[in-house]
Amino acid sequence: MNAGSDSEESGYLYDPDVQLMLRAKQGDDDAFSKLVVNYQDRLTTIFYHMTQNQEAAEDLAQDVFMRIYRARHGYQPNAKFSTWLFRIANNLAINAHRNKKRRKEIALPTGESTSVNSVRAEEQALAEKSALMPQRQLDKHELQLVVQRAMDQLSERQRLTVLLHKFEGMSYAEIGETMELTVPAVKSLLSRARDGLRASLEPYMQLGKESR
Amino acid sequence: MEKTVRLTADQREDLVAYLDGELPDDKAHQIDEIIARSEVARHEVEALARTFELLDILPAMRAADDFASKTLTNLKVMEQPFSLTDQWWFRYFKRALKIGVWIISLVLCGWLGFQTTRNWIPDHNADVLRDLPVIENLDRYEEIGDINLLKEMKRNGLFDDAQEK
Repeated sequence: MNAGSDSEESGYLYDPDVQLMLRAKQGDDDAFSKLVVNYQDRLTTIFYHMTQNQEAAEDLAQDVFMRIYRARHGYQPNAKFSTWLFRIANNLAINAHRNKKRRKEIALPTGESTSVNSVRAEEQALAEKSALMPQRQLDKHELQLVVQRAMDQLSERQRLTVLLHKFEGMSYAEIGETMELTVPAVKSLLSRARDGLRASLEPYMQLGKESR
Repeated sequence: MEKTVRLTADQREDLVAYLDGELPDDKAHQIDEIIARSEVARHEVEALARTFELLDILPAMRAADDFASKTLTNLKVMEQPFSLTDQWWFRYFKRALKIGVWIISLVLCGWLGFQTTRNWIPDHNADVLRDLPVIENLDRYEEIGDINLLKEMKRNGLFDDAQEK
């Protein structure tokens, strides 16, 4: 992280995770280990919904911690720790997506992982079942697949914006800082994302209410 | 605003921000008024809110139980300076090198020993070959009986002729 003003820095010192990171900077590995425990599930969740693959999600989460650990000596607390962490996660997700796209262009169509294929197969089966019985009650797992499929239809940035907002409870300003976007850009991304989701999920809204 | 008028893109963006509590008070107040007057806007807000509620069904994931310990171990490994002796293959390389050195040393010792000792053992065949011309004519030399005369004859090349014949 780059240097910011002193007043800004002192404000972020109240963040307990910033305190842990400062201790890690001084060589306290226990503090870093606490940070890993604090964020491992949150990062895995975000990456899982980006990749639909638990293993890939954990690999990416581990990459985030590795980058943070490597950068600890130069750490300056000029943002909330989570903002910094999710900014790294954002960059990694973009790189992973770019690499995946490149591999897809080069590789044979069998490139996707088995778990992704199985999710796709389940989605296909669900789509067929739903087409046969549009009014039937969806169970929770089926509804999850429908929502996940709707999320997949969003662009990478829209999806990450939604995930940060929904799962991390980030404000527009925090999302902007994390994804290096302006607040109006975040607002526009979220609006388009929610429109897209609405278009995909509208037929299931009533069913969703009943399922939950 | 009329009840059925469609919302503009800006107004729709504002509706989302309104639901997220991200609009400043004055704009939020405007949206309140729009919602109060427009059925379309009300419907939009409800649909958007329900869409976002549906996302609650997405599962929150848990990292594997050994995630933290595995990550910290990897970090420790990553931090260690590169050391040749710590490489997994180095043990095998060291053993192969030791065996190689032993083999080369043994071969060298054998060769040196051979070279050193080959001159210590007298070669009788070489002596016989060297003295063959004398041995072949030994009877004649014995008949002459005088060594000085033999030397004189050799000097004059008489034996050469005899050997040629």
